[in-house]
Amino acid sequence: MVSSCAVTRRRPLASLPLLLLLVPVLVIAQSPRATAPTGPPLIGVGSTGSPTVTLDGHEVRVPVNLGPGGPLFGLKAMTDALGGELVAGETGESYTLKLGGKDVVVGLGSAVVTVGDSIVSLSQPPTRGEGGLAVPLDFLAKTYGDLSGYSFDWRPGEQRLVIGRRSARELPVALDVVHLQGMTTVVLQFSDVPRYHLNQQPGRIEMQMLADRLAVPSPPRKVEDPLVKAVDIAPERVRIDLAPEAAVESYTLENPFRLVFDVHGQSTVVAPAGPAFPTPAPASGIHTIVIDPGHGGTETGAIGPGGIQEKGLTLLLAQALAGRLQQKLPVRVVLTRSEDVNVPHDTRAAIANQNKADLFISIHLNSSLGAGAHGAETYFLSAQATDTRAASSAKSENGENAESPERAEKTGSAPAEPSQDDLRLMLWDLAQTRHLSESQRLANLIQGELNETLQLKDRGVKQAPFRVLMGAAMPAVLVEVGFISNPEEEGKLQDAAYRADLVEALVRAVARYKAQAEAPENPSPPATGAAQPAPAAAPPAAPAKPPAAGARPPGGARQP
Amino acid sequence: MSRRAAGIVLGAALLLVAAGLAWWWAGGRLRRLGGSAGSGAGAAVPAGPQTTFAVDLYFPVETGLRPERRNLTGSDTPKDRIRKIVQALLAGPGAAGLVRPLPPGVEVGAVELTPEGVAYLDLRWAEHDDPPPGGSDAEMQAVYSLVDSIALNVPEARRVVLLWNGTQRVTFSGHLDTSRPLSPDRSLIAH
Repeated sequence: MVSSCAVTRRRPLASLPLLLLLVPVLVIAQSPRATAPTGPPLIGVGSTGSPTVTLDGHEVRVPVNLGPGGPLFGLKAMTDALGGELVAGETGESYTLKLGGKDVVVGLGSAVVTVGDSIVSLSQPPTRGEGGLAVPLDFLAKTYGDLSGYSFDWRPGEQRLVIGRRSARELPVALDVVHLQGMTTVVLQFSDVPRYHLNQQPGRIEMQMLADRLAVPSPPRKVEDPLVKAVDIAPERVRIDLAPEAAVESYTLENPFRLVFDVHGQSTVVAPAGPAFPTPAPASGIHTIVIDPGHGGTETGAIGPGGIQEKGLTLLLAQALAGRLQQKLPVRVVLTRSEDVNVPHDTRAAIANQNKADLFISIHLNSSLGAGAHGAETYFLSAQATDTRAASSAKSENGENAESPERAEKTGSAPAEPSQDDLRLMLWDLAQTRHLSESQRLANLIQGELNETLQLKDRGVKQAPFRVLMGAAMPAVLVEVGFISNPEEEGKLQDAAYRADLVEALVRAVARYKAQAEAPENPSPPATGAAQPAPAAAPPAAPAKPPAAGARPPGGARQP
Repeated sequence: MSRRAAGIVLGAALLLVAAGLAWWWAGGRLRRLGGSAGSGAGAAVPAGPQTTFAVDLYFPVETGLRPERRNLTGSDTPKDRIRKIVQALLAGPGAAGLVRPLPPGVEVGAVELTPEGVAYLDLRWAEHDDPPPGGSDAEMQAVYSLVDSIALNVPEARRVVLLWNGTQRVTFSGHLDTSRPLSPDRSLIAH
């Protein structure tokens, strides 16, 4: 009993030091120094030892910058070691890596790059480091890995990047050739997605394997076709020999992966969405126009009171416009979609950029929440959109970055300005910023033709932060040709003759723009890369002012 | 030390620990809600007394937006004002000729306000993954009805990020870039 009481008395005394120790621990935990930094990681150079890079067992000199976001590697030195050509953009803010027949466009501070016509996100943005542009490991994997068959193994413990060559896959391929209604379709079906590059020459198109080899089907198939003379499959390539005057367009299908070539007997075809063959760089002027039928697939766009969906009418209008433009003008026209499919906004702009378009016209039908709205209006990108994002980007670069709202939602902390997203998209914003003056001029011409021809209510040229316009590296507008929410206009828009009038108005506007651009007194200057300032914050709803003095003539300024 | 004294010491120690835990919990919660206490506009503070404040709600009309003056009641915190404003917008206008910016059933989810003046507004619409489809003007009317009503009535909110069912979308319904904070657009307002 005595001993029991003694234990009871000693317990609080024994616990007291422990409890008192807890208080300062909590105080320290509460202090601001305990708060994790939320800014972007700062990249240091070789802070812990000397990282090395080996290629096939031999050390190569490649600058490596180490930082919390992972290692970054000097791209110029990597190009010297692995091949490819690195070309600096005119502004010094972007670079083009020519590799495996594809242009890889990378911007300083942007975690989004384009590889051919594909948009690729990186784990961290490239930055300027020792030896010039420094890129993260996944950039190397998505370029040299996918296009050239290299493997990259970063070993943090050794601070060593081991570059090897992947063993080439041998992919079975099946060939099918079908001729129907004056067109031949050649289908190459693969067991897996191959890494390849297409080369087009007069009378021949060749699919060059980059890092894989083909299992040649046996026996080889003999082709007897009026437009396709032969299809020759070898382990390293597929060669399609065409009849004279045949024109070809290609596209891919998924599940299983198929590469499809539509071979026409005439040269004027409307290219579908997707990659186009490389075309020689044109002289100044308007040579290629990309028409974007708004919405598509599950994204219906506006729906009229009669149930007519915007996506269907925009496709009809775009296809008609493409046909008439090619009939009336010596231009090449590309559609961002030729069927009822979802196409992401950034992909639409990327298609225009990849095709080196001189104009981008997005066709839409309008709707209003209020009753009675009618008429046409034409938009170009608002300067505010680019200004805001540029400011956000600068903020990110200044280390004022914070948690994304998505992450904030997960963590329960307060969301912060999504400046990292802004940073990723800076490349696209800058693309349109330099063309705002010309976009405004094109918008004025289109709006004028629509008003005059159709006697529509002039709703004016307007500006808005429309996503589809942001990444277009050429004069770009979004045309709302009428209000599908208005029963009267919905009825008119279903009339083919009315749509034809709309199309003719658009063709005239483009023809006038092209004529002005190519007039001798208005030669297009070479692309200097000097970004033109956005039109001074014109009120978005007000009729647009004439182009600012010193505005860049069209056709000559193209994003590198 | 007597048993009584030991009890007093233990009680005091427990009180200290409890106070420390409460301080820690409250501080962390405040940080999550918008910055440390006293950081200004975005700092979350306990709901204050109910007050009535006058606002202009910008409702869609045939073309653009038109203001409707309202007196709303709520606490005087910026976040609560934003919530009341959006709730009033979603409830619809009082005057003829004005229309509601979003269909019935859309509700206000989370509202946050950063010290930098960016308001985050989460709109919820049960069983609808996407905002209602619409043309450019309808989309701008819906979006800027919210953005203008918030940013032009709550000085602490200079820009607005819209979330839909908890997700920030690239575009609201196919046109406007909503992947970034939107500034108010006064040009849409018809007086």
